[in-house]
Amino acid sequence: MSATRWVLAEYRSVEDLYAAARRLRMAGHAEVDLHSPYPLPRSDEVLGLRRSKVPLLALAGGLAGVATSIAMQVWMNAVDYPINVGNRTLVPYPAMVPITFELGVLFSSFAIFFGALGLFGFPRTHHPVFEVEGFRTASIDALWLSVEVKPAEAERVADDLRRSGAAQVAVAPEAG
Amino acid sequence: MTPPATAAARTDALEPAPLIVGTPTDRVLNDELLDHVWNPKRGWKILFGIALAGTGLLLTGITVTLARGIGVWGNNIPVAWAYDIINFVWWIGIGHAGTLISAILLLFQQKWRTSINRFAEAMTLFAVVQAGLFPLIHLGRPWFAFWLFPYPSTLGAWPNFKSPLVWDVFAVSTYLTVSFLFWYLGLIPDLAALRDASRSKAQRIAYGIFALGWRGSARHYQHYRIGYLILAALSTPLVLSVHSIVSFDFAVSLLPGWHTTIFPPYFVAGAVFSGFAMVLTLMIPARKLLGFERVVTERHLENMAKVMLVTGMMVSYGYLMEHFIAWYSGNAYEAFVFSNRANGPYRAIYFMMLFCNVVVPQAFWWRKARTNVAWLWIASILINVGMWTERFIIIVTSLHRDFLPSSWGMYAPTWVDWSIYAGTISFFGLLFLLFLRFVPAVAVTEVKELRHEMAHAHAGGKEAAR
Repeated sequence: MSATRWVLAEYRSVEDLYAAARRLRMAGHAEVDLHSPYPLPRSDEVLGLRRSKVPLLALAGGLAGVATSIAMQVWMNAVDYPINVGNRTLVPYPAMVPITFELGVLFSSFAIFFGALGLFGFPRTHHPVFEVEGFRTASIDALWLSVEVKPAEAERVADDLRRSGAAQVAVAPEAG
Repeated sequence: MTPPATAAARTDALEPAPLIVGTPTDRVLNDELLDHVWNPKRGWKILFGIALAGTGLLLTGITVTLARGIGVWGNNIPVAWAYDIINFVWWIGIGHAGTLISAILLLFQQKWRTSINRFAEAMTLFAVVQAGLFPLIHLGRPWFAFWLFPYPSTLGAWPNFKSPLVWDVFAVSTYLTVSFLFWYLGLIPDLAALRDASRSKAQRIAYGIFALGWRGSARHYQHYRIGYLILAALSTPLVLSVHSIVSFDFAVSLLPGWHTTIFPPYFVAGAVFSGFAMVLTLMIPARKLLGFERVVTERHLENMAKVMLVTGMMVSYGYLMEHFIAWYSGNAYEAFVFSNRANGPYRAIYFMMLFCNVVVPQAFWWRKARTNVAWLWIASILINVGMWTERFIIIVTSLHRDFLPSSWGMYAPTWVDWSIYAGTISFFGLLFLLFLRFVPAVAVTEVKELRHEMAHAHAGGKEAAR
């Protein structure tokens, strides 16, 4: 038996969805989430989310790429295997720009992509909310709210949501 | 959610033509835009068969090249770079429009990009794959391609990072990787929509795996949106850098006709020009066959025609400046190369280039030409041909008569050159057909979001007017 249960509720309008989310948060539920086919404006305020860490990851990735590139070019062409072309400098800064830029972009993109997947906890192809068949509409045309609660509270929260104007409410069966 | 029946269309007096025709609900959009995945269109199999046969031509060309060596190509000394580099530059240039549409137009908040970006990004990926093939097989011994990358070899040698050819390796491989990540990140919510709309268990499992577990969570969207935006911001300078670096392969050499500072911007403009032409070449039949007329409207086609007009004018300016500087520099070799382009043995190709790239886009000054689908399609093909001839002119005419008349020569492609080139076109078509068969060709999530925004803006405007 898992330690928590997921209660899902579908709403017909963004306003109702936000109102329900706010009420749940006021009631002390921290694990409230919204599900929609496309990003909803101001949903992060409604859920009280802190700023995303993704920009910092992107910056860190970019700086790591730049540092790697400079270290690589200097060490390989000037230290480990100096390539002397007509006695020109071994460390030509302008000629290092293209690769430094490219690696900066590459590392930064990796940081964004895999960083975001990491923050999502992906890949995670199974999740308790998928146990509710109606939840499939969340990626098509419906607005859903989910909240993670203690098993004992599940029915009470579901009743509250039903009274709050949800179009349908479901408690996710425990995944087997 | 049932959307309000407000028009998702005419919201701005300055933008009269609609981006989405009618007032479809999210469900209708979902059904329409994913329909081509569930119900393969008639003709798909025939096109796939043709593309598969053409890909056979590519394999034949490559096999002959590997078995006999690159002597089976028409390349010679002095024309050591020919079809392989022409086609490389042509393909990679085509790819650039995809990134321009998906990244640069996103940053400029051009809403019309929404219904064509996924399509254009796929085109980018597949075009870069074709581009990458050419330098690879031009190596002659492609199984040593890893020598291009810095790896700790027993020889103790490293790549020479002062060489533009090494920059190119980094630029193209970064471009391919970042384009893929950008494409896939944008695709995840659409794959989830496919998973949830799927009709069989096998489909649900397959798309479920590729959707990675996406559940449209607002907590995820928060990271997702900013991540997507930063990737766009990174892709924007990346796309400019890639074709600039490709042009360095030429500009950093000392050859008359190549050694000019105008090359990077002129190459980038040409890349966008040819890329938009390719998007139109593919999009015009696809929107008809797949029934995307609701979201890919006349306005999208007209906007793309405008971009082609602008970039075509930039390319024309490039031609003009090259000739002017060749004369103004007073350099006899430089002047000769340019007069040789117009008067030499390859002059027919040169005038073909001028016709396709300078004359044809001028038609887009007229609205009628920008909105006539048949003409747009013909013009887009002519521009693709024109941009290919441009690369032929840049590469072959500069090489075939350089400094010493004693080392002049002529170049003609062989059947192997032609089969590899035609083969890459088929292989590109093959990948594209697979894309149209299995992946949503229009960014469904973004179109829904656009519809929502437009409906909202409309409702908001009404309230403000009250």
